This record gives sequence, C-alpha cells and structure tokens, in this order.
Amino acid sequence: MKLHVIQQRQTWWLTSLTMILSGIVAMVISWQQLGAPLRPSIEFVGGTRLQLELACTRSDTCDAPIDPAAVREVLTAQGLGGSSIQVVGDNQTSLSIRTSTLDVESRTALLTALNQDVGEFDPATTQIDTVGPVIGRQLFNSGIQALLASFIGITVYLSIRFKPDFAVLALVSLFHDVLITMGAFALLGLVLGIEVDSLFIVALLTIVGFSVNDTVVIYDRIREMLKVHPDWHIDDIVDGAVNQTLTRTINTTLTTMLSLVAIFLFGGETLKYFALALIIGFIAGAYSSIFIASTMLAWWRERTGRAVLGSAEGITLDDAVLPRPEDAV
Amino acid sequence: MGRQRSLLALILILAIAAIVVLTQLPMRLGLDLRGGSQLTLQAIPTEAVPEITPDKLESVRAVVERRINGLGVSESVVQTIGEDQLLVQLPGVSDPEQAERVLGGTAQLDFRSQRPGSESDLQAEYTARQILLAEQQQLQGNGDEAAIAQNQRALEESDRALTSYFEDSNLTGEQLRNAYAAPVSGTSWEVGLEFNDEGGRQFAELTRQVAGTGRSLGIFIDDELLSAPTVEARYAETGIAGGRASITGGFDAQRAADLALQLRSGALPVPVEIVENRTVGATLGRDSIQRSLYAGIAGLALVLIYMVIYYRLPGLIANLALVIYSLLTLAVFNLLGVTLTLPGIAGFILSIGMAVDANVLIFERTREELRAGKTLYRSVESGFYRAFSSILDSNVTTLIACGALFWLGSGLVRGFALTLALGVMVSMFTALTCSRTLMLFALSFPSLRKPNLFCPNLAPSSSPATPAS
Repeated sequence: MKLHVIQQRQTWWLTSLTMILSGIVAMVISWQQLGAPLRPSIEFVGGTRLQLELACTRSDTCDAPIDPAAVREVLTAQGLGGSSIQVVGDNQTSLSIRTSTLDVESRTALLTALNQDVGEFDPATTQIDTVGPVIGRQLFNSGIQALLASFIGITVYLSIRFKPDFAVLALVSLFHDVLITMGAFALLGLVLGIEVDSLFIVALLTIVGFSVNDTVVIYDRIREMLKVHPDWHIDDIVDGAVNQTLTRTINTTLTTMLSLVAIFLFGGETLKYFALALIIGFIAGAYSSIFIASTMLAWWRERTGRAVLGSAEGITLDDAVLPRPEDAV
Repeated sequence: MGRQRSLLALILILAIAAIVVLTQLPMRLGLDLRGGSQLTLQAIPTEAVPEITPDKLESVRAVVERRINGLGVSESVVQTIGEDQLLVQLPGVSDPEQAERVLGGTAQLDFRSQRPGSESDLQAEYTARQILLAEQQQLQGNGDEAAIAQNQRALEESDRALTSYFEDSNLTGEQLRNAYAAPVSGTSWEVGLEFNDEGGRQFAELTRQVAGTGRSLGIFIDDELLSAPTVEARYAETGIAGGRASITGGFDAQRAADLALQLRSGALPVPVEIVENRTVGATLGRDSIQRSLYAGIAGLALVLIYMVIYYRLPGLIANLALVIYSLLTLAVFNLLGVTLTLPGIAGFILSIGMAVDANVLIFERTREELRAGKTLYRSVESGFYRAFSSILDSNVTTLIACGALFWLGSGLVRGFALTLALGVMVSMFTALTCSRTLMLFALSFPSLRKPNLFCPNLAPSSSPATPAS
C-alpha cells in the first residue's frame, strides 16, 4: 500500500477545512444559545451539582423510576425553579441536578426535601460538587494558560530540534486537532447536552502531546531523508517519509484506541467523555500528522523556493539504505 | 556480553524490588476513588486585615485544623494552597454538611456593655428583629427572591442599630478556656463558657458595671447579637465571679455543639468562604475505580495480544517490557507518595500507550532494516539506534505539555500531569534499556535467531530496493 499524500493534498485540506468549519459553526450556534462556544460545566461557571441514587434498601423502593415532575416540584418549592434535572441510570433511579451555587443550609434543605418527597437516596453513592463562580473562572483560566504554555514550549523545542518552519507547521496541525475536538464537543453539547469540564482541558493537552508525537515521528523521518538525499524534491521526501512511518502511526493510534474505546464503553461515568475527547482528538491528530503537517511542509518549502536543498550541503550516512519512493511498487 | 548480563540482572532486581514495594506500601488513592469530601476555603480580607499574609493564612489553617479535628474525622488533611486558599480533605465523609457549617463562621466572640440611655430602644429593636427573622424563614419557604432580599436589607439595618447600642469591652473569645454545649430544658440548649483567669476578672468587672442598672450585657458572635442578658442588682458590688458564663439564644443541640466547637477552636482571624466542594460517596468512588480499571485492563490485554500477533517475537518481548514498565511505574508512584486520582489513572493508561509507541517505533525500524537486507543482529541494533531520536523528541514534547499542566493546572489536572510525566520518564528507560537487553538476550539463543520471527513474509534474498511498507 502506498499513499500519495502530496498528489491529493487538496482533498485532505478540504476535508480538514470542512470539519473545522462545521465545528466553528457549532460553536457559534452554541455561543448564541448558551453564551459560550462549548457547554460549560459548573466547574467553569460556578454552581452546584448533585448526583443522587435511590437507596434500594427495600425491594420495592427501586421499582419505579424517578418522576422528574416530582423533583421539579421540590426544586420550585425551594426557590430553585431554574435548575436542570436529569434522571439517569439503567433503571432511571439516579438523579442529576444542577443548580446555582448552593450554600450548606440550602443544600441540606434541598436534600431533606428530596428524601421526603421523591424517595430515600443512598448517601454512600451521592456526589456533590459545588464550585463558586470565582474559583470556576480560576480553573478555566489556569487550564487555558496551561494549554498556551504547552503550545509555546513545544514550538520552542521543535524550533531548536528541527527548523522554525517545522515548528510553526506542527503548531498549525495542533490547532487543527484542538479545533476539531472542540467542534465535536460543541456539537455534542448542542445535541446531547454534554458539558466540558477541566478534564476536557486535560484531554486537549493530551491530544496536543500525542498529536505532536505523530508529527514529530514523520518530521524526524523527513529530517533524516533530507540529510541522506539532499538532491531529492521535497514532495518525494515527504511522500516517502509518510509512507515509511505509516505502519507505525496506524499501529500506535490503534493500540492507544483499544484502551480508550474500552474506557469509553465500559468505564465509569467520569472518564467516559474524557475518553471520547481523546478518541476524537487522537484520530484527528493521526490524520493531521499524516495528511496535513506533511503536505503543508512540502507546500511551504516549495513556495519559499526550498523544494530541493541541493547536493552541496548534503550529509550522507554511511549505511543509508532508504528506498527512493519512485522505486516503490 | 558481560554488560548485557549485568543489565539483565539489574532489570531483574528492579522488577523484584518493584513487586516488594507494591506489596509493602499501600497505594494512596484520592478521595474521588475511595470516597470523601474535599473542600476549598477562600480566606477573605477584611477592613482589619486588608491583606492575607502567609502568617495570617497559617493561623487560619491552624484554626480550621482544630475545628476539623473537633469533628472527629480520621485522616483528615488541611493544607494551604496558593496565597489565600486552604484545602480540606475529609476521607469517607458522604455529606460534609457539619464540616461546612462549622467552618462557615469566624466565631469571633465578644462581650459588650450597653450604652446608658438606650434601654427602651434596645427592647423595641430586639423585638422588631425577632419578627423580621421569623418573616425571613417564612419567605425562604416560598422562594420569593425579591422579598427575601428586601427583608435581608431590613435585617442588616436592624443589626446595625442593635450594634450601635453597645460599646466594646476587652473581653473576647481569646480569654476562653473552654466552651461546651449543655441542655437547658426540653430541646433548648445553651453554650457554657469557662474563662481563663484574666477573662474571669474582666467578666466580673463587666457584670459589676451593668448590674442592677437595667442595661444589658451584649454577647456578640461575628458581630451579631446572640443574647442580651441583664445582670441582677445583687452583683453590683462584686460582679459575677468564678469565670463562668453561658450563652442562651434558642439553640438546638446541633447549633449549640457547632458553636461550642467553633469557640473552643478559637476565632478565625479573617472570614473564610467555601468556594469549592467536591464530595464523592464511598461506594460511588469504588464503583467508578473498578469499572475504569477493568476497562483499562481489558484494553491493555487487547494491546498485548495485538503486539504478539503483529510483531511476533519482538511483540512478546515488548509485552514483557511493558509488564516490567507497569510494575516500575506503579512502584515509583508508591515511593514518591503520588495520590492516585481518576485522572491520574487516565494519565497512567496513556503513559502505557506512550511506552507501546516507543516499542512500535523500534520494531518498525528493525523491520525496515531487515527488509533492506541487513543481518538480524544489525537490524535490531540499528532499530534501537535509529528510533532513538523519534522517541526522545516525542517524549520531550509530551513532558513539556505535562510541565505546563503541572505548574499551571489545578488539583485534578496536576494528578494527571504527574502520573503521565513519571510514566513517560520510566518508559524511556524500559523501552531503551529493558526491551533492548531482553531482545539481545533472546538473540543469544540460536533457535530464536530467525528473521521470520521478527518480520513475516520476508523475502529470502531481499534487495535494498524492497518497499518499506
């Protein structure tokens, strides 16, 4: 199998552009509806989330699913009419409530009322998250700062280890992966109401780390081939480098996917969407490394008149055995 | 071959040491995995303390710690984070209701004496306030936000008026020796106070001044008037001696116990606000760890199988190296006292992915060299040698991302960054040393020295022009 990445680069670029643009459209719609490009969890905007599960102490208590209307009534009586209510779980016996930030008195009052009117909940399976608005902004800002700092760090490192144009284009492909993942979650937020929390920022950073790996491996091969065959055209070098590292890129992505898909399908609730973000991001990352970062490098070198380095500055490795791409069957 | 032997011995020793560490030291699990409550407290500057200095924060921490210890939660942790925040961890607590209540107020107790000439005003204002309080309770039941806010303003106005009828004395919570809750009658409780010697003298003086005058003694907590008892005329000579007093204010048992604990622990120099509360029920944590762990293990098992099928003998060796890698990394977590949280487990699973990647890079390189017609031994050597720069660059970039997360991120995020970074560092060692040593060891057996065990469908006389993939 041989991929002609250069020949069909318009196709690859168009595919990516379409994906990114639809993601941006989703983010714009989400901005109009929710006031944020992605649906933020209480972690970023502040609020209280209660997750409760009925205590199945007696056999009859868990038979009937929770009635959202009853829950709504309790909340309205407590002056929390604007809260969101979700009945979840296999038997509809779990409850997820998101309200404005509650202090201990109002929360205790709410829990008591729910226990009285809706059913007895098991304290051992309760989850309470309260995040004040100030700390929410703090969490969000620190996440964004971390993301930017890692972008800068990676660009500087790649500029030193490779060439500045390698680094900049690697950065472009990182933005590509981050944008696609964000777009996907903007869409999921609109359609399924999936929220993003600080784990999502962790996921974005992991995607950055992994995607840059893929790109680095291909760039590393390009760098090596440039040394061995300085007289080759950059298009041939990129094609060759992508193809020689293709099995590795696919195998690495595949093996990582095995664990992630397992966590997504069978893992606990908390890690489910974290795994999904990684799955989307890693696929986007592998795609951008193979099809975007490489072809853009060839395009850029051509544009800047460095398509062929020339044999004069070539360094030859004594045991160079890299096949010419033209020889490939 | 001597160097190979000693490396092999080193790996064996490390693996055994890791197993010993793992069986001897318990794994430290975060509250999200074993259940419990984590509160973040924010110290709020006041007029008296406009800036939260490290000293102030430390004294806040000391008071918070005393209050938490008073609750009797075992293994609780109170630590300062940043410039003005505290982290309180309460393992096993499913509803931190009591902790939140106890931590809420500064518990600034002080005694004040009423200004002469305000006797009737105080009575009227006090009655008006009781009515307002009752109204507020009723309104909160209805949920009428506007009315609540209006009433709240009236209450604050009333508080200010009440405060103005009193003048400060020197007697405060600092002169307390003990505070305890005691029942008065039926469901009504009071908080008993015992002063130290200095406090006892001041209390006697204060009560002597107001005794028999009709003026009262104001007992304030956090600037709120709790009770305003009058002192009988018979104390006009000596004041109430003995250093004991009690606060009655219509407390129930719970409120009396909370207040006594707060007073015993001392007043907070500045008020604190609970800005974050993350509580995971005990069995919920256990469920999520089990499900995620099983899923992760199942995924890894698939990875191991895939490696053997695709890479054959090297795949088998890589799997051995991965098992050693996992043992070493978990042992490092235990030795460094890393607290494993759910994102931490995710970081570890991803670091396994990185470790697999290093092996994949090496074996792909080895295959290329084999296809290019090199001997088995040279192919293996140059596979390791040539994959090195890829592995180094990709691991360093991951470490950069981890560093950014660790320095700038918050609690959960840092746990992830730490486990991933430690994992990546250990994997550099295992992929380059472990896999290599094991591979060369395998090559020392003639029966394993068959190129087909490394690369299927290898043409018997491959030429340098054979395609790489």
